[in-house]
Amino acid sequence: MKKAFEVKDQAVLDTAELVLREIKAVGADEGETWVSRNVLTELYYELGKISMVRTVFSDKVSIKLLKNKRKGTVNLNSFDPTDVKQAVADAWQAAQSAAPDEAEGIAELQENASFSSGEKTPDLDLMYQQLTDLLADTRQDFPKISFDSIGVEHTYSERLYANTNGVRLSEEQGLYQLSNMFMAKDGDQTSSFNYFGTVYDDPSERVTESGRVKRVLDETQRQIVTEQIEGSFAGDLVITPGCLENILWYVADTYLQDSAMISGTSPWKEKLGEQVASPLVNLELVAEHPELPGTSKLSGDGYVAENMPLIEGGVLKNFSLSRYGAAKTGLKRSANSGSTIVFSNGQTRLEDLIGWVERGILLGRFSGGEPSPAGDLSGVAKNSFLIENGKVTKPLSEVMIAGNLGDMLRDTVAVSQERENSGYWLLPWIRVTNVTISGK
Amino acid sequence: MLQDHLQDYVKKHGFSGYTELRAQQNRNHAVSMLNGSLVSNSSGVSRGVSARVVKGGAYGFASATGYGDDLEAIAQIVRAASDNAAFLDRHVQRGQPDFAPVQPFTRTDGLEHDVPVEQSYLLSVVDELDSYIAERFPKLLSRRVFARVLNMEKLLYTSDGVVSHSFVPRSNVYIFMTSQDTDGQPVELYKVLGGYGNFPEKFKNAEDFFEKIEKQYELLMQKAEGVYAKPGIQTVILDSDLAGILAHEAVGHTVEADFVQTGSVGGPMFGKQVASEKVSLVDIANTAFGNLAPVPVFVDDEGTPAQDQMLIENGILTGYMHNKESARKFGHEANGNARAFDFSDEPLIRMRNTCILPGTDKLEEMIASVEDGYFMTDMNNGQADSTGEFMFGVPMGYEIKNGKLGRAIKDTTVSGVAFEVLKTADMVSDTVTWTNSGMCGKKQMIPVGMGGPAIKVKINVGGRA
Repeated sequence: MKKAFEVKDQAVLDTAELVLREIKAVGADEGETWVSRNVLTELYYELGKISMVRTVFSDKVSIKLLKNKRKGTVNLNSFDPTDVKQAVADAWQAAQSAAPDEAEGIAELQENASFSSGEKTPDLDLMYQQLTDLLADTRQDFPKISFDSIGVEHTYSERLYANTNGVRLSEEQGLYQLSNMFMAKDGDQTSSFNYFGTVYDDPSERVTESGRVKRVLDETQRQIVTEQIEGSFAGDLVITPGCLENILWYVADTYLQDSAMISGTSPWKEKLGEQVASPLVNLELVAEHPELPGTSKLSGDGYVAENMPLIEGGVLKNFSLSRYGAAKTGLKRSANSGSTIVFSNGQTRLEDLIGWVERGILLGRFSGGEPSPAGDLSGVAKNSFLIENGKVTKPLSEVMIAGNLGDMLRDTVAVSQERENSGYWLLPWIRVTNVTISGK
Repeated sequence: MLQDHLQDYVKKHGFSGYTELRAQQNRNHAVSMLNGSLVSNSSGVSRGVSARVVKGGAYGFASATGYGDDLEAIAQIVRAASDNAAFLDRHVQRGQPDFAPVQPFTRTDGLEHDVPVEQSYLLSVVDELDSYIAERFPKLLSRRVFARVLNMEKLLYTSDGVVSHSFVPRSNVYIFMTSQDTDGQPVELYKVLGGYGNFPEKFKNAEDFFEKIEKQYELLMQKAEGVYAKPGIQTVILDSDLAGILAHEAVGHTVEADFVQTGSVGGPMFGKQVASEKVSLVDIANTAFGNLAPVPVFVDDEGTPAQDQMLIENGILTGYMHNKESARKFGHEANGNARAFDFSDEPLIRMRNTCILPGTDKLEEMIASVEDGYFMTDMNNGQADSTGEFMFGVPMGYEIKNGKLGRAIKDTTVSGVAFEVLKTADMVSDTVTWTNSGMCGKKQMIPVGMGGPAIKVKINVGGRA
């Protein structure tokens, strides 16, 4: 919720104002700071038992200052004024030795604002109940599933961005998160690892009521005994939502974000406004979405983030550039350079999307090497099934896939009506053609 | 260096039940240049105190930033950890006894390396390396040079009377070069320099590394004219970097005792043949072949003295890595694998310096023995699975045709099932080298060392048809 600027924790505000005073006092031209106070409460399950309760109190301060476009940055985890003053002095020293960069700067004056969401104080009893419910439900409905670990966390933070242009933005957020790693076991045989991460604001909801959680547990339970395939062929991938998030992260890094654009290696660097993907591809970075509590309203460089299309109808609408990345490339600063992503649903029922595949893979997880700057990637199909003549047949192991990220978006021939939601992404299944699939 | 305020706390308050009390400071520096622009020039410190208390088998952990002579602040952290343990103990009522006490000892390690690191010195080294690349290779599509320093200092007191104060420095410079292949597509190669030690010690003169940069460019030019590898099972010589990550990812994770208890493939294979008899694998605590390993651990974060842990001996799986709890459960000895990354992290079972031991073969003879296959020289990342299936990214390698190196190959990936691949290892070279920039992710990140000789195996290559 957006509201007039306020900071509840006076120590956060005082520390930020001290940083800005010191930045001016040492003689810097301009500067900025992030100051936050955070509390993490974690309930942890491992080795067949709820093993630990963990509480972490942490204060964080990040300082950047500029003198003649020379930059110095220091991070510390103390609000002690002596430590803060020393940190500004260290940043000043670092800037003295730095080469100037005309693209450097800080956020321009804008309307000051604050945002808040979620609960400040965790309900540890509810978290405990949620965890024991998940274990009981899994034991009953998916008895072969064995959790390696489960973390149920609540994080509360109040963070403030302030700079010498007068910008003051703050965000207070309380959020629950459940992370885990598990496999299915039957005697000495095991499936591959799998996981489902989720963020939410109500710990009283049963985790296993989610269709996504049920699907992932069910699929994993059917992957204990796998088969291999012989030889290589060019086939189809049906990429599941969780795996698609991983692929889209690679796309952002290789084609859209600061590093690839500044270095000039992005294959899309000249493609703004052009068709780069199938018309079925509609991607958006979101700062606010009614179904996604995991969004952040502030960008890392001191702006209020907005919802922003990346690709509409296959046409590249925006890069994902910070203020600095935009200045270096001569392009526009992006309204969102975050990672909370939404892929619009398509017209095809999931059943039909799979039904069209003659021979291919239902890709549950991808374990691969870093994509090359050209977008080439290869790796192992994990938690995956073979699709033959429109039917999901056998679970697979030791099958590799190789292709190119850009080609995969261009060769997307179907997008499902159904989507899944982790709390920080909302994604469909997509069908991609012409990927190299190789077995033994 | 951290002042010892924990000693004052322990003298005044003592411990009530099993407790680990740790003050820790991670100091880091980062300088990055991208095409000559300074995109990062930062330093930082993460400092704080944590306590872990065990009641009846239930763990309570608490930590807070800041560390000084305020003993009440330390007492609050211990109380919070104790309250957390009590909350959980009430719910789970496990009723386990405390760990058997260990013999008290006090030791310090590596504190002499704690010398100041000037940000300006990192800047000068990175600038000199970047300028050299820019001048020598102006046609590169892009270049990135970045320096990273992570110096970890820990002060540990346990209720058993163990006192350990350690300092482990790590300093690396990464060099990325990007050119274009024959189709105009970007092609990249990177090199990591440095390792254990303080930055001024590891990088006394930037020009000492110019020769390595020249070599890296030469390899990049070969890769730019490279071909896609053929997909499927191939005969491959994995050079040291890849053998090291094989030891870590493919085998190491499956024999961490927590993974074993969850159901990793390492469980049922204990005492069985899992590799060719030419393969022996050990997780080295601190010293290997007469030198410090990349990440020397002398006392772990539970206060256990660190010893080497043999994992595979002549092809037989003989050991797991443990913390105190898993060692008690298995009836094995804990050898110092419980490690935490930051002050706010609890110790987990982690590798330290996992290494395949050297064999007797010469690399040239190994290459000469391959009629049709690949020699893979670099890796960029890796992942492993509970089933023992693994994959590594391979950014550099060559074809081998009729016993001779051929064309370079483009980026690819190799995969296999660890124990099956290791059973095919029929040649092992006589020289070990270490990768000393690795960070392993398992709830927390942590620095690890990975080492090995070159090994010849059959492995699945993710090439293009």
